[in-house]
Amino acid sequence: MRVFICEHNWEAMLSCIYDAWSSKLGHANIRLTTQEPEQYSLLDEYVTVSFDRGKAESVMDAVNLKISPQVYSEIAYAAMSSEEDALDTIYRVLILGFAYGPNVVKMVGYKDVSRFFDIRRAVGNEVHHFIEFVRFHEIRRSLYVAHIEPKNHIVGALGGHFSDRMPSENWMIIDDVHKEAIVHPKDEDFYFKKLSDDEFTRLLCTEEENDEYTDLWKVFFDSIAISERFNPKLQRNLFPIWKRKHAVEFK
Amino acid sequence: MYEISQDLSLDKKLEILSDAAKYDVACTSSGSDRRGQKGMLGNSCAAGICHSFAADGRCISLLKILMTNHCVYDCKYCKNRRSNDIERATFTPREICTLTTEFYKRNYIEGLFLSSGVINSPDYTMEKMCETLRLLRTEYRFNGYIHIKAIPGASSELINSAGLLADRISINMELPTEESLSLLAPNKSVKNIVTPMNSISTAIASHRLAIGKDARMERAVINDRLSHTIFSGNDRAKNIGTAGSKGIEEAVNSALLSNNVNRGGSFLPADPKDKSLRRPFAPAGQSTQMIIGASEESDYDIMSTAQLLYKGFDLKRVFYSAYIPLNDDSALPSLDTPVPLLREHRLYQADFLLRYYGFGISELLSDDKPNFDTRIDPKCEWALRHLGDFPVEVNKASYDQLIRVPGIGPTSIKRIMSARRYGHVNFMMLKKMGVVLKRAQFFITCDGHMMGNIPIEEQFILNRLTDADRKTSYQIQNPDNSVQMNLFNDFGLSAGSA
Repeated sequence: MRVFICEHNWEAMLSCIYDAWSSKLGHANIRLTTQEPEQYSLLDEYVTVSFDRGKAESVMDAVNLKISPQVYSEIAYAAMSSEEDALDTIYRVLILGFAYGPNVVKMVGYKDVSRFFDIRRAVGNEVHHFIEFVRFHEIRRSLYVAHIEPKNHIVGALGGHFSDRMPSENWMIIDDVHKEAIVHPKDEDFYFKKLSDDEFTRLLCTEEENDEYTDLWKVFFDSIAISERFNPKLQRNLFPIWKRKHAVEFK
Repeated sequence: MYEISQDLSLDKKLEILSDAAKYDVACTSSGSDRRGQKGMLGNSCAAGICHSFAADGRCISLLKILMTNHCVYDCKYCKNRRSNDIERATFTPREICTLTTEFYKRNYIEGLFLSSGVINSPDYTMEKMCETLRLLRTEYRFNGYIHIKAIPGASSELINSAGLLADRISINMELPTEESLSLLAPNKSVKNIVTPMNSISTAIASHRLAIGKDARMERAVINDRLSHTIFSGNDRAKNIGTAGSKGIEEAVNSALLSNNVNRGGSFLPADPKDKSLRRPFAPAGQSTQMIIGASEESDYDIMSTAQLLYKGFDLKRVFYSAYIPLNDDSALPSLDTPVPLLREHRLYQADFLLRYYGFGISELLSDDKPNFDTRIDPKCEWALRHLGDFPVEVNKASYDQLIRVPGIGPTSIKRIMSARRYGHVNFMMLKKMGVVLKRAQFFITCDGHMMGNIPIEEQFILNRLTDADRKTSYQIQNPDNSVQMNLFNDFGLSAGSA
C-alpha cells in the first residue's frame, strides 16, 4: 500500500488528492493522511506531498464543476478535522461523488459517507461550541484577544460569526494547539495567520492582564445558579471540562 | 422609595440583582435573526447561543438581571415581595448599558434579559426600563438580543415602545388559573396579564403583516410536514378569557380597518416615513412562564393553558418553573417540599410534543388522567396507549407516523427521509443518525423486521422502558448533591504528617 502524507492545510490536501488519484495504483491500494505515522510499517511505501498550485486548482475545479460547489464546501469544512482518517474519507467520498453526483453526501448507506457524516458533524459541533465558549480578554484599551484549545483546526471557521458580530472592534482569536490565529482589525475584514514561535510566546501572556469585567462576570456566574437545583453532572455534560480551559468563570 | 444604603458598589449590585433574577427561567436568545452592522455592536442568531452553564446546569445566554428588586407588590411565592426583609438595590440605566456591552464584547453573553420589581408604580418601572433600552440601542449602539419583561398593569404606550426596542417581550402568567393567582399573587389579576398579552400579540401580528410576513410566528419546519398540529387548522381562533374572544387575524384586521387608528399611541405599525420607528416589533415573539407546584393545578390544567396560549396568543414559548420554596406562608407548600424537577421535565417534554411533534394536549392527558406518568416520558406513554398504530415501517412510513414513534424526533426524521431516497435504512444506520433505539426499537420495523424478538404487549414494553429510563428519572428527581468522602479534606489528614 502506498501512503500519501501532506501537511494539514487545505491546498496541500487538495494537491495530495491529485497525486493519489493520478498514481493509478487502484483506490484500494492507497491511503491518504495528514499525520506522520507514529510507527512506519515495513510493507507500506510513504510519499510526502507538498503544495502545488496547479494540482490543487485542478482538483478544486473538478469537484466544483463535476460534483457541485455545495459538496466542495462540505469537504472543505470536514477537512478541518484532526481525525487521522479525515483526508482518506474525503478521498473515498470524492470517488463516490464522481460516480453519483452531488447527492453523494446524503448516501449514508455507504460506510465512507457515513464516516464522512460523523467527521463533518464533529467539526460542526466543535465550531458551534467554540462560538459559544470563546472568551475575549481586553488588553490595553479596546483590544480583545481570545485563546482556544480545540481538537480540530477550526479557528478559521469562527471568523465569520465574530466579524459579523463585532465589525468595529479590534480582536483576535488564537488557537494554542495548532498555533493558528485569526486577526480582525477595526472595520476591516479578518485574516488567517500561522503564528511563528516568537509571536506565539509573546501572545501567550495576554490572559494575565487584569480585566475588571472578568471579576464582575464571575460574580454574575456564581449568583445566577440556583443552589436548590445544583447539578454538576448536567453542567459537565453541557460544558465539558476540556472546553473550559480558557473560560474565565471557572478559574 | 429610597435606598437605605446608597453607595453600593457595582459588583455588589450585580450580585444582589442577578441573584434576585435567577428564578426567571426564560433565558433563551433564539427566534431573532439579525446581521451585524458596521459601527454597531452585535447580531442575533435564530438558533440562539448559550455562552456558559451555571452550577445548576442551566444555560447562561443572557445577562439576566432585575433593574431593581424593590417591589410594591406582595406575591406570596416571590423572594422580592414587599414583606421580605432582604437587601435591595437599583441599577442606573447607564450601569446596565455598560455591563451589557462590556460583557458582550468579551463573548460572555448573548444579550440582555431585563426584568424588574415594581418600584413606585407599574408605569414608573416600565418607563425606566424603556429608558434603559433606548439608551442601549441608541447611544451604546447595541444590536444584540434583548428580552424584556413587561410589567403587568403598565400602560400600553410604554409596552409598545418596549416592544419596538426589544427582540422578545414577555409577561409572566405565573399561575395557570384565576383562583390560584388571586390566592398567591393578590396584587395581580388575570385581566392585568391577559390584556397586555393580547395587545402584544396583536401588535406583533400587525407588524409582521406590515412587512409582508404571515401574521403568525414561524414555527419549526417539521410543522409544515405534518397534517395536523396545534398551529394549523380551524380551531386556532379559540382564545382565553374575555380579553381575546377573536383570533389574532380577526383582531388585526379589525384594528387595521377601524377608522380611529391613533398611530402614535396604539400598537399598530408606525408610519413607514418615520425612520426611527421603522423596526420590527418584538421579532422573536412573546413568551411567558408558569410556576409548577406552588398551587394545586394538575398537569392537564397547566398544559391546556399552555396550548391555549400557543393557539390564541401565538406565543413563541411557554416556560415552566419548578417551585422552590423561599417563603414561609400558609397559602404555600411548606418549606421542606422537594423541588418538583421531574414534573417540570415532563411538562417541558409535553410542551415540545405540542410545538414540534404535532400533538394536541387532549391526546396526552384527559380529565380521567390529569397527570403525566413520572416513570416514562409523555410520548412513550401515548405510544403505549396506541399500540395498535405500531410497529411502523421506517422505510415506508409518512412524517405523521414517524414523528409519533418514541425515540425519533424532527432531526432524525429529516435524516431518515433523506437517506431513504438513496437506499434502504437499517437499524445500524438509524443508530448512526441519532435515533434513540433504546426506546424506538419497540415501535419500528426496518424492511419488515423488528430489532430482536419483541412482543407488542403493553406491560412488557412498559417494563422495558421504565427500566431503561429509571436511572435518568431518578437523577432528575434527586440531583447529585453527594460528595465522595475524602480523608485529606474531611478529616484533616495531611500526606506527610505520620
